[in-house]
Amino acid sequence: MAAHVSAAVNEELNYLNWQKGIWSWLTSTDHKRICFLYLFTILLFFLAGGVAALLVRTELAFAGPTIITDPHTYNVLFTMHGVFMIFLFVVPGIPATLGNFLIPLMIGAKDVAFPRLNLFSYYVYVIGALIGAIAMFNPVDTGWTFYAPYSTTTGTSVSLMVLAAFVLGFSSILTGLNFIVTIHQLRAPGMTWMRLPVFIWASYATAVIQTVATPVVGMTLLLIIAERAFGAGIFDPSKGGDPVLMEHLFWFYSHPVVYIMVLPAFGVVGEIIPVFSRKPLFGYKMVVVSSMAIAAVGFIVWAHHMFVAGISDFSAKFFSIVTFLVAIPTAIKVFNWVSTMYKGSISFKTPMLYAMAFVFLFMVAGTTGIYLAMLGVDVYYHDTYFVVAHFHYTIQGGAVIGLIAALHFWFPKMTGKMYNETVSKFAFAALFIGFNLTFIPQFILGMDGMPRRYYDYPAQYQTLHTISTIGAYLNGFGYTFALVNLLWTALFGKVKAPRNPYNSHSLEWQTQSPPIHENFAEIPVVTEDPYSYGTPTGRGH
Amino acid sequence: MLGLLGQQGSDFAHKVDYAHDVVTIISVICTVAIVGVMIYFAVIYRQRDGKDHETPRIEGNNTLEVIWTVFPTLVCIWVAWLGYDSFVDLRTPPANAMEINVTGRKWAWDFTYKNGKKTTGELVVPVDEPVKLVMTAKDVLHSFFVPVMRTKADVIPGRYTYEWFRPIQTGDFQVFCTEYCGNEHSRMMARLKVLPKAEFERWLADDSQARKLASLKPSDRGKELYVSKQCVTCHSLDGSQRVGPSWLKIFGKEGKLADGSTYKVDENYIRESILQPQAKVVQGYPAMGMPSYQGQLSDDDITGLIEFMKTLDGTQKVEVAPALPKKSAASTAGMTPAERGKALVNDSGNLCATCHSIDGSAMVGPSFKGLYGRKEKISDGSEVTVDDAYIKESIYKPAAKIVQGYGPVMPAMYEGKLSDQDVADIIEYIKTLK
Repeated sequence: MAAHVSAAVNEELNYLNWQKGIWSWLTSTDHKRICFLYLFTILLFFLAGGVAALLVRTELAFAGPTIITDPHTYNVLFTMHGVFMIFLFVVPGIPATLGNFLIPLMIGAKDVAFPRLNLFSYYVYVIGALIGAIAMFNPVDTGWTFYAPYSTTTGTSVSLMVLAAFVLGFSSILTGLNFIVTIHQLRAPGMTWMRLPVFIWASYATAVIQTVATPVVGMTLLLIIAERAFGAGIFDPSKGGDPVLMEHLFWFYSHPVVYIMVLPAFGVVGEIIPVFSRKPLFGYKMVVVSSMAIAAVGFIVWAHHMFVAGISDFSAKFFSIVTFLVAIPTAIKVFNWVSTMYKGSISFKTPMLYAMAFVFLFMVAGTTGIYLAMLGVDVYYHDTYFVVAHFHYTIQGGAVIGLIAALHFWFPKMTGKMYNETVSKFAFAALFIGFNLTFIPQFILGMDGMPRRYYDYPAQYQTLHTISTIGAYLNGFGYTFALVNLLWTALFGKVKAPRNPYNSHSLEWQTQSPPIHENFAEIPVVTEDPYSYGTPTGRGH
Repeated sequence: MLGLLGQQGSDFAHKVDYAHDVVTIISVICTVAIVGVMIYFAVIYRQRDGKDHETPRIEGNNTLEVIWTVFPTLVCIWVAWLGYDSFVDLRTPPANAMEINVTGRKWAWDFTYKNGKKTTGELVVPVDEPVKLVMTAKDVLHSFFVPVMRTKADVIPGRYTYEWFRPIQTGDFQVFCTEYCGNEHSRMMARLKVLPKAEFERWLADDSQARKLASLKPSDRGKELYVSKQCVTCHSLDGSQRVGPSWLKIFGKEGKLADGSTYKVDENYIRESILQPQAKVVQGYPAMGMPSYQGQLSDDDITGLIEFMKTLDGTQKVEVAPALPKKSAASTAGMTPAERGKALVNDSGNLCATCHSIDGSAMVGPSFKGLYGRKEKISDGSEVTVDDAYIKESIYKPAAKIVQGYGPVMPAMYEGKLSDQDVADIIEYIKTLK
């Protein structure tokens, strides 16, 4: 056991039932309840963004107009897909839900450092989301990147949507700040930095990026509003502005934001693999260092989104070389995860299947990222379907699969119930096959030169588009199935979860399932690291 | 080698493809190896009979960490170099490259050659010769992507960007816009036509298209312009909705403008809408949807377009033919001076016939009929006799002596463009027009 935890608690009373009524949820400062507030809200946008994606894919199933009769509606839908998925679903994604739930539990704290600020940042998120919803009355057609001067001249409600993203940014900053202070100040006795679970390290790196990078995009988005409302002339070349400046400012945030999305998922995988392999996480220190390295290097690679955008050749060469620096820590992580399984005792529970799928999907995401870091090759691939496929492998195959894996893994702790393994595995299979069926054809489309954000396309691309659309439906079915299964068992499931169903050594499993309001009856004292699996004399199978 | 990116159209394409091949092979090997090892571990170290077996507490291995830090670093250096090296080629046009100006606008590509020849939607280049595209945009960001050439660059309003390639084979190739630019982004394509060198030279010197336009009746001229100026991108002929209103039954149509006032489509409304598209926008259409064609269409062109619209009254289905057939430039060898002069006057590159009739009717400029030897009053009140010297002066320095009743509109573009011999030939031709 990693810690001494008193068992003298009332097993009947927990954070879910100690206060009752919707109002007690909406005003709760308990980090575990805030996790659920976020979870239901972001899943709402996951659903909306997912429906938009399926409409887009349906339109693209065949050349020529299919179900959408005008390009404007199509442009609105892919913008809606991007904005909802990025700003309202994936960025808050793991940090605001599982980060909230797990950080205090994993470090042996009663709550986050600023519980009321935590609730406040949820409502800041809600306000941002509502502004975004109002903007849908005249929906934006710029793509989620808001490139000027298109975004500063189009007649759609860009200002409102950008204001929404601006407000959402504050929610992200406040959450990040809260986590940084929590991890610094509230670790239980004996929980040294080098005993922190890698999920905490990943959340820490993420929180640093959130607080440092988000203000820059906030500023950029305000400048877009200034441009539209007052004709400020910062990005509009007809007034002496520079549209390329807008791209620099935008990507200065929006590249690091990729790591906000995916680093927590790395953390999740780092937690799941040791538990189901009954082995310590291989090379713990290297995994920690690589998370921090990715967070740091992530700040100086933004212009690799702009190799053909009119930046100088010198800049392009510089940003290409530093981009390769991201590949190395990422590779180190993958090697360590796989090595953890060596001589293990591996069981294939649903979270482990997701974690292994993650390793494969992230290998594809990572290696295709190498193509895009290579200058001469990126010139060809820039703004083609290859890029679309690459970032979906990163964001969906990484961040979203990481979230789904985490929701399964910590489900017993969060709800006090066990999910249905058979149904979950079936949903996993549909999701995994559907995902690859959607995006592998898009890599080939990219090789054939198919540009992205096209309402219509030459007939030669049709077969691959049709396959991709079929995959998208299967993928959507898989997600629906997986999440409905979890929701159903959370509400109506009969199988009660024990404290520690996986026999994990990490602190969150040592308290009851679901935990009491302040997590631990008394603050635990940590004496071992969280991955002390196996025995020094064990020989393996 | 693997040929994943398809046909290679430029001399540096093989270098890009080589880099692509290398990274593909490395990626496939690494992915298969790592996922293979993972699956191998999963199989041989699987839990048996639902019970955990004893496992060793292996916390890491420094040698392995060093190996899998150094190995990816070396691989990265290699592929980074391959990407860098091919990029340098892509960004270094030879000094003798032929420059063509490219303008991106919502939603078409315009090309201007050094001799003033203009095309829209069709870029024609010679094979084996380096071509440098000097590009800018009129409205928003666009991006000029020629997959077969492996090159692409964003096209940005307010600045110039460039790309270049040396085609290694003839043929027709696809050009895409790859920076999202609004409603018709996916229709903003162009054809790249690579011709044998001699054929390209003939094409470049050839003006038959412009000459043919001048010879057409107005409604047919409008029909040709409808295709060649890419009106077709946004305005349908069959009533279907695109970015702009369909032209079916458009003439005489009435409705509401964006500001709530009413409009009726007549000649002047059409003219204004072509030259100042933002002045009166019909309700339900984008305010900034259409770029101005000021300077791109002559008055005759606009008249032609108006006449073409008048034919679209729905009584018969109108279909547009694709590009105009080409004629090779007429040889001037063996012609008399007057015949050569006639050819020069009718040459659309010289544009004389746009403003000067040969039948006595006044156009923008005086008719050539009966011009020679006539006495004319010029704008300062003095009188001149139209002789060789006066014509030559008027061609080279049009503003010097303007005949009363005409504006100072003739461009001073012929000095250097027309030789003394050309001018003498034109004078001989004018002399024949009695």
